Amino acid sequence: MARTVQAEPSRPQPAAGRYNAQAVRREERLVTAAVYTFLVLVSLPLAVGYGWLLLNSFSTELAHGVWPSGFTTRHWRFLFEPPSPYYPDLWRTTWNTLWLAVGMTITMVAVSTPTAYVLSRMKFRGRNAFLALTLVLHAFPGITLLIATYYVLRWLGLLNSIPGVFLVKAALMLPLGIWVMKGFYDGISWDVEMSALVDGASRIQTWYKVMLPQVLPGIASISIFSFIYGWSEYIYVITFIQDKNAWTLSSYINAIVGDFRFLDYGLLSATALFYIAPVLLFFIFTQKYLMRVTIGGTKGGS
Amino acid sequence: MARIRLHRLTKSFGTVQAVKGVDLEIEDGELLALLGPSGCGKTTILLMLAGIYRPTSGDIFFDDQRVNDVPPKGRGVGLVFQSYALYPHMTVYDNIAFPLRLRKVSREEMDRRVREVARIAQIEELLQRKPSQLSGGQQQRVALCRALVKEPDLLLLDEPLSNLDARLRIETRTEIKRLQRQLGITTILVTHDQVEAMTMADRVAVMRAGLIEQLSTPIELYERPANLFVASFIGDPPMNLLPMEYRPDGGKPQLVNSHLSVSLPEAARAGLEQSSSNAVVLGVRPEDIRLVPEPVDGMPAGEVFMLEPLGRDTLVDVRVGQQPIRVLVPGGTEIRPGTRVWLQWDWDRQHLFDARTEARLGVNADAGRPAAAG
Amino acid sequence: MSRSQKVALFVLFLPALIITVVFYVIPAVMTAAMSFTDMDFRLRWNFVGFATFARMFEDFLLPRILQNTIVYTFLTLAFFNVGLAVLLALVTSYVPERVGRVFQALWLLPRFTPPIVYGIIWMWILDPTRAGLLNGLLALTGARPVNWMTDYPMATIVVTNGIIGASFGMVIFYSAIKSIPRDYQWAALADGATWPQQVRYITLPLIRWPLLFVTAYQTLSLLTSYEYILIITGGGPYFATTVWSLYAYNMAFGGYFANYEFGYGAALSIVLVILGTVASIVYWRVFRFREMMAEPKIEVM
Repeated sequence: MARTVQAEPSRPQPAAGRYNAQAVRREERLVTAAVYTFLVLVSLPLAVGYGWLLLNSFSTELAHGVWPSGFTTRHWRFLFEPPSPYYPDLWRTTWNTLWLAVGMTITMVAVSTPTAYVLSRMKFRGRNAFLALTLVLHAFPGITLLIATYYVLRWLGLLNSIPGVFLVKAALMLPLGIWVMKGFYDGISWDVEMSALVDGASRIQTWYKVMLPQVLPGIASISIFSFIYGWSEYIYVITFIQDKNAWTLSSYINAIVGDFRFLDYGLLSATALFYIAPVLLFFIFTQKYLMRVTIGGTKGGS
Repeated sequence: MARIRLHRLTKSFGTVQAVKGVDLEIEDGELLALLGPSGCGKTTILLMLAGIYRPTSGDIFFDDQRVNDVPPKGRGVGLVFQSYALYPHMTVYDNIAFPLRLRKVSREEMDRRVREVARIAQIEELLQRKPSQLSGGQQQRVALCRALVKEPDLLLLDEPLSNLDARLRIETRTEIKRLQRQLGITTILVTHDQVEAMTMADRVAVMRAGLIEQLSTPIELYERPANLFVASFIGDPPMNLLPMEYRPDGGKPQLVNSHLSVSLPEAARAGLEQSSSNAVVLGVRPEDIRLVPEPVDGMPAGEVFMLEPLGRDTLVDVRVGQQPIRVLVPGGTEIRPGTRVWLQWDWDRQHLFDARTEARLGVNADAGRPAAAG
Repeated sequence: MSRSQKVALFVLFLPALIITVVFYVIPAVMTAAMSFTDMDFRLRWNFVGFATFARMFEDFLLPRILQNTIVYTFLTLAFFNVGLAVLLALVTSYVPERVGRVFQALWLLPRFTPPIVYGIIWMWILDPTRAGLLNGLLALTGARPVNWMTDYPMATIVVTNGIIGASFGMVIFYSAIKSIPRDYQWAALADGATWPQQVRYITLPLIRWPLLFVTAYQTLSLLTSYEYILIITGGGPYFATTVWSLYAYNMAFGGYFANYEFGYGAALSIVLVILGTVASIVYWRVFRFREMMAEPKIEVM
């Protein structure tokens, strides 16, 4: 490719007002200040809201709704005596909540882990169909199925029970769990698996002994998600569990809101704090794993 | 156009020191190459010159004005990345016009300047295309235009030829050099390819591990490398480097190792005496060695092990004992593996280095350029 | 297929199949079937054809509810789930990483807070008496307390849901921004761009796909969300904040009716699904999602 050289003398002129650090630095500082101001202002309500819970549970009263006037621990008496006779035992309720969260986690992990393996690594008829199905099912979120679910649970005799709730919730979260785990399986090279098969392992043994240990991070992520959602579940518990012995903390607080909402903010805050403290701490400590999940699969959240 | 000066420049990232104290002066209108293996700090220096990294200590001067605190925007620097970094969602025209658009240059002025620089780089027909529709060579020219359109005082090129195929490289390096001469812009080029550096630059700074090993013209680097590193880095095929022991007694100075021995003339003694110990390294380039069929006094003998025909030349791997020595002979030479040959070279074409300090042992004291300050 | 494979398929796949069918597929089919009945708490399958759907046209509440749904979805989407999310992603990627992570954790908290507690916090903030935060602060200036939830019901549900919704987009946009190759930012810096200019010319255009995806996905999420509205305003006052999904829920399980009108509720749900499907198709076409599936779009998304 011949190229002709254009003779074109054009010595660049020295730039005017060169190397001026001041103006540019000032501009940068302004932007940074604006950014931080925005961030703090917009996050203030959140911080205040959570701080209030903490403050209120230990204060006698909040002047102007904000400033605590005195320190007290009487709001926390609910730990020892129920707010009113018809409330179930707090610790039993807490245990139910734990049972719900754990049940949900176990179900999610137990079901999505093997299923994702099959969908990721095995060829069979209907594979694509099932994958598409899980996606389509997401168009039927919980709300539309609530009514029919009531029917199904009643038919199965699982109304008013914790297992009923966590089975349903796990089923609804299953598409998410499967896609996330599948992502983790997809990331493992085929070589490892092929060696296992060549070494004489059956498909199940390969999954159990070789693949499973490698997707432990995925299992961790799903477990964290499931536990948090299970512990926080509200709608399904309210709707399907009337038996007080099977109440979770969601129902408990719901009742307190109904009874004490305008009377005793302190009690309200204390019980709320009692409810959320475990799961919030859990979330903060495991935040790293969660971020990995949402980023990796561009899924997650509602 | 600007004169650039680096004074005791260092840059650390956490505990890692990428640049360990560099002094450098670049003349206005000069094309200087920073040459070295990956990780030697050359790209870091480039980014500090652009203002993207701030020096940990030391100063950068543009025309005697200290610019450490000046952000990229205020420095008048044009930067061409190895990946070109053309904004994929903009047309070629918009890419080139971008720096001007940021400065709120008027439409007519912007258009004029974009078209002019596109004409100089001969990419006018490509102005409405998107980067993904361009070849590597075309993308590079667009990136160059974007850097040049703001009429910078300093042009920085990061590995400009490494993404191009061999043919294109040769054409492009001529292009770049022509452009630089024509526009007279002070230019700094970063590369790990010594051919690139040697063919394009007025001067080359060879770097290793955050320090400049030698700063000279290309020829000087080739003829008088200041230390072992520079000697082994410059030159393709690379210089033969033979660890030897200096035997000063008994008549002529002798260099000996377990495979071969070489006798040197008396004049070589002065340089050898400068060595901190008797361990020296003898360097001789493949192109400076001749193969002769008869014995030569004081020179080693060996057996032809393998031939690598390169067309114009043939690279011959000769084994002296177990020591491989490579020799470049003209392409048509008749030679066969297994043949016994003697090696001969002129002693003033050879290089001697102190094995411990790696520094060049001058024939006359201080005849060579000192290894550049760090 | 070898024997071991068949066994594996059976054992490993069956649990998911069972659960999905029992708790997902069957309810879905049943809901569709139910919408043609007039089922109530007696759980009698009494097929009445399209009568339940016809009832919708006579339901004088529905036009208002439809309007609520559209307004709510649009406002929350525009201002919070996408708008605020983009801003949050941008600023958290601008500040040093540790600081950004702290603020992101703060904004993710509402998502992981049990809904009832989140509701409690807002109920306090919006409390119509001086005991509430806003009114308490207002009292400092001597103004009279405002009944936020009854006077500004739509704003209430938009803000309360939006603050939760923003975190989804924030996380996705943040990771998209972080995966823009560093060279582009440096090139823009060398070209002389300030950070706002970088955002306008480089960052935003390059996260186009995540932006479109979040818009489409969150539209569906908002259409079907009702939990927080239920807790905070209950759909009131007088249906001012009742959206379609909430109406369906109340029809079946609570609210002003508590009639257990399953048939009608199912019909309402089905319409919602259709709405959602239509919206998805529209988005798919308008945003040209097929393009996103086909080419590998730069390194972002």
